[in-house]
Amino acid sequence: MDIVVCIKQVPDVPNIRLDKHRMTIIREGVESIINPLDCVALEAAVDLRERQGGRITVLSMGPPQSEEALREALAFGADQAILLTDPAFGGADTLATSHVLATAISMLKPFPDLVLCGKQTIDSDTGHVGPQIAEELDLPQVCGVNEIHLQGDSLVVKRLYDGFLDTFRVNTPALLTVSQELSSPHHIPLADLERAFSDREIIRWGLKDLSLKPEEVGLGGSATRVWKLHKAAPKRRGEVVTGSPQSLVEHLIRKLEALSILDEENGNE
Amino acid sequence: MRLEPTMKQMVMRRTVRKFAEEILAPVAAEMDATATFPSEIIQEMAKLQYFGLEIPAHYGGAGLDAVSYAIVIEEISKACAAIGLCISVHNSVSANPIYEFGTEDQRKTFLVPMAKGQAIGTFCLTEPNAGSDVSSIETIAIRDGNGYVLNGNKVFVTNGGMSNVNLIFACTNRSDKQKGYSVFIVESERNGLEKGPTEELMGMRGNPVCPIALDDCRVPVENRLGAEGQGLKIALSSLVGGRIGIASQALGIAQASLDVSLKYAKERYQFGKPLSEFGAIQNYLVNLATRVEGARLLTYRSAYLKDQGLAHTKEAAMAKLYASEVAVDATRIGLQIHGGYGYTKAYPIERYYRDAKACEIYEGTSEIQRLVIARSLGYGRE
Repeated sequence: MDIVVCIKQVPDVPNIRLDKHRMTIIREGVESIINPLDCVALEAAVDLRERQGGRITVLSMGPPQSEEALREALAFGADQAILLTDPAFGGADTLATSHVLATAISMLKPFPDLVLCGKQTIDSDTGHVGPQIAEELDLPQVCGVNEIHLQGDSLVVKRLYDGFLDTFRVNTPALLTVSQELSSPHHIPLADLERAFSDREIIRWGLKDLSLKPEEVGLGGSATRVWKLHKAAPKRRGEVVTGSPQSLVEHLIRKLEALSILDEENGNE
Repeated sequence: MRLEPTMKQMVMRRTVRKFAEEILAPVAAEMDATATFPSEIIQEMAKLQYFGLEIPAHYGGAGLDAVSYAIVIEEISKACAAIGLCISVHNSVSANPIYEFGTEDQRKTFLVPMAKGQAIGTFCLTEPNAGSDVSSIETIAIRDGNGYVLNGNKVFVTNGGMSNVNLIFACTNRSDKQKGYSVFIVESERNGLEKGPTEELMGMRGNPVCPIALDDCRVPVENRLGAEGQGLKIALSSLVGGRIGIASQALGIAQASLDVSLKYAKERYQFGKPLSEFGAIQNYLVNLATRVEGARLLTYRSAYLKDQGLAHTKEAAMAKLYASEVAVDATRIGLQIHGGYGYTKAYPIERYYRDAKACEIYEGTSEIQRLVIARSLGYGRE
């Protein structure tokens, strides 16, 4: 099975700084990690390869320092890593990003059986890129998958949505975005980490390699502009209730049941 | 002069920190309370090459450079100093000497299982009458046909209680102070090697430190590490690397203490404000943070010099000396900042306090480190 995993390098700390001109996050000087849900996607890919055989290609669009994330992905178990990097790609919104990624995926030979993405990133939180790639490549997609099973030539996947567990059979090639419950990323062996940085190659593709025009990518290729970015002050909303302990407990139980935290029938979580 | 870690070293730190926080930190308190070292931890770490950190990959190790090695030891020790000690000693003064001085056969027989964590190593130097004074050791190895017969008593053997491969430092020629010592690789199951009961330690209690006695222990000549008479050279060269390991360990303990103390000082309120707003507390923390930074730079610089193939005996001694003293101070002051709660086992600071002290003693006491540094400055006898 040929699998592509799209990963993004994201900042690790809450104190991010903004480039007010481009309305984007300044990444220099801040420690960066692979987006945590992308690690779940990588783990799922490694698991599928163990069951089915095949190859894992990891892709990322980012500045040159994203190489670090790709090498970490190689240490994690990817067979091949491609960095899509070009000054022209800077300032891209999710549409421009997914266009670059989709173009790169369509250039792979053979075309992958499966594209895996994290459901969303911890910096932008949009959850757009996976679905946008699927649309551009005309692939069936399921988002927020928490189980993947192989059944002959297709995949049976499950996802939790609004308290319901959906099951889908998906024919490959397909795109799935993954949620936290799908897998627990394994700890990287140190020898693999060492080798990923000393022996392995990162393929680099820019605007020309992808045969894209400047107006299709970056700020110019974006359909949306970030108007404002500021830190939100959290609003605490609480309810103060008084009464006897008995009435307070009854009130609390009713509230928790209404929020589906407590099961109405059993009174259990 | 580049003082920043490489991309690889940053990812290494993150990777090890994640592993240490998720797998090692949760067992640290129990290991200390019960004075046990869980075998599951050894298995988890073995899979990830923690037992062959600097050993090349074709022997089953991770093939790391010295700076990456220091990072690994620091991050492990931050989570659990007893585990950090195990890894540091196994790597620096047990596996590495076999790699540096061993024959290819010895590497295949001993080093490969050690790098894979299937065999745990020790370095047995100290005796009841010989701590800092190595030349007073009484363990003797007498050549007998195709082997040697060893007799003697070693004490305070780190990892002793769970070891498989023991490097025994013995006297092969009483009359030669320079070339009268040799090192022997002695398997734990060999006839004539007896392990004593585990010591009741103040700190690092998870590590099974015990005495090892040799009673007419016969070893083949193939088990001698290096040439006869090369013992002192092997011991001293291994100890330099060991010092970087212990400096990193002390640094990890100091950083852990600083982290918890900074956090506590923000959360604990007295007289209507957090402790962190009192000048006295701020000064403690500021001084500690500065000294920890100094210990960090000394430690990583000595590792860097080792990677460059440059002399680093003085720097390693300085790093070990300084970092261990900073760790003791950081834990003492950290406990003071925690006040009464710090004196209970509900907070980890009292464990850090008990763990830190050993760093000033083993792998060369602070007094010995000062001697080494004095000699490098041209003082003291040659």
